[in-house]
Amino acid sequence: MSMKISIIKPGLLSTVQDLGRYRYLSQAVPVSGAMDELAHRLANKAVGNDDDNATIEFTYADASFKAETDILVAYSGDGAFLVFNDQVMPAEKPLFFPAGSVIKLIHNAIGVRTYIAVAGGWDVPDVMESKSTYLTADFGGFKGRALQKADVLVSGPVLSEVSKEILEKLIHRSLTYPNWRISRESLLPEKRQNIRVVLGNEICWFDAASIISFLTNSYTIDRKSNRMGYHLSGKPLVRKVKKELLSTAVTPGIIQVTGSGDLIILMADCQTTGGYPRIAHVAAVDLPLCAQLKPGDTIHFSEISSDEAEELFLEREHDLSLITTAISLKYIKT
Amino acid sequence: MNKEVRCFETGIPIKIYGLSEKSVTITFGTAIDNDLLHLITDFNQLLLQNPFSGFITTVPAYTTLTVFFDPLSVMLSDLPGEVCFEKVSAHLHKIAQIKREKSKVIANKVVIPVCYGGDFGWDLSIVARTNNLIETEVIDIHTAGEYVVFMIGFVPGFAYMGGMDTRISTPRKEVPNAKIPAGSVGIASNQTGIYPMETPGGWQIIGKTPLKMFDVNRSQPSLLKGGDLVTFKAIGIDEFNAYAEI
Repeated sequence: MSMKISIIKPGLLSTVQDLGRYRYLSQAVPVSGAMDELAHRLANKAVGNDDDNATIEFTYADASFKAETDILVAYSGDGAFLVFNDQVMPAEKPLFFPAGSVIKLIHNAIGVRTYIAVAGGWDVPDVMESKSTYLTADFGGFKGRALQKADVLVSGPVLSEVSKEILEKLIHRSLTYPNWRISRESLLPEKRQNIRVVLGNEICWFDAASIISFLTNSYTIDRKSNRMGYHLSGKPLVRKVKKELLSTAVTPGIIQVTGSGDLIILMADCQTTGGYPRIAHVAAVDLPLCAQLKPGDTIHFSEISSDEAEELFLEREHDLSLITTAISLKYIKT
Repeated sequence: MNKEVRCFETGIPIKIYGLSEKSVTITFGTAIDNDLLHLITDFNQLLLQNPFSGFITTVPAYTTLTVFFDPLSVMLSDLPGEVCFEKVSAHLHKIAQIKREKSKVIANKVVIPVCYGGDFGWDLSIVARTNNLIETEVIDIHTAGEYVVFMIGFVPGFAYMGGMDTRISTPRKEVPNAKIPAGSVGIASNQTGIYPMETPGGWQIIGKTPLKMFDVNRSQPSLLKGGDLVTFKAIGIDEFNAYAEI
């Protein structure tokens, strides 16, 4: 049995995303996928899904949808709160809404993006082995485009054992949810404006003063920021080596320095290759923080080693696997 | 760890640097060069045939090959090393030491039909004027060349090609066009290329191909790939329309 919603108000930019499209990079097909992978994964975990199931990525709030059938959903992220009957819904926990419920997204000042997962994942066709939307080339996700008013989205027909159990315990004539929730806060650092970075291969192309400036000054997210990348405004960096970098592979998180010395953080829809020198890359564990930055926000960078970045990544993955185990132990008796 | 290992029996040293937690880049050289392209293409083939545990994909570029992997699987593998960088590097160094057979890979030849000039190639006259040629001479020179695809980048299916005759070199436009239709063939300084999808762009547009350079419904969506040899064939509007109907 599929669950179904219809979009009443799509909001600024709402797209279907999963963990991205990795196998076509050599054909210059970007990774795409959820900007905030952590929030996307937690929303999925809360309904018993695989991390790679498709969610809807909402940008800011001012959106709403109607449950056309009974639905089991969960949300995570910092762009909006889910509201039902004037009541703010708890995040990172499964929410059962009976058919006919109208659910709204209202403004959350902290961030930009909010993910809504449904038990079974949102069912859209796979394009090049992924359900992620890539708007520049109009493919993937829901008909290769952002969601519009009156679009109807359905869930995948196959529920995991955990999803089935969650649904069975919650199914009711009115809104229900359990008393447990995933603690997203415990996975995020306290100082969210401090972005940890690993210095890049072209670090020596910059003069010492610029490298110090990069690691001490603060930068502001510019208006020219989207799913491809964030332009930062701040003190421009000075190049010591003036040679040209021959185009080579880049990946989300990399911080490029343009010809005028400005910084760009590459994000999910970034090109697969680039020719700007790379001063650093954002530690994978801090990329979800970047995904929630909005124009006007101020950040600063602090250096960690590549070994530390890897250790943090492996720790985060370990913590996430414990969450999955804990949820399934609640519902599946072994 | 950035020890120098020589690639195959060529004596060309490779260097590896970490690009992110999930990728490393192998550097084979510093300049655009056909021999380097073959070396990178062969290395890529060998790696695809002999992947390591956790290997995801590769991205070849002018002088580099970038290798993407899943760090969790790499850490669980029995490759030597304490961190992913060391483990993946150990595998790549092994690949570099495989004895390379005489390059068996025969370059894939692709003929691209192009309807030059007119509404499809509104900048053909600029290219002609810039180089003191008449338009048909530009077409003759453009179709006489054989172009090698160095890499795919910029947008899905866009091929960076080398080998254009400098007699038709033309600087890119100072003010880019807001919309260049898919299939448009352009020139920018010493390069020629084909826009796979409608994007803004600053290249001088000399014609249009009816072929789909990128199609998500093909098993290889990008028509071209690194190492391919490309030639252009001039076609008239009738032939263009016949293609477009297929």
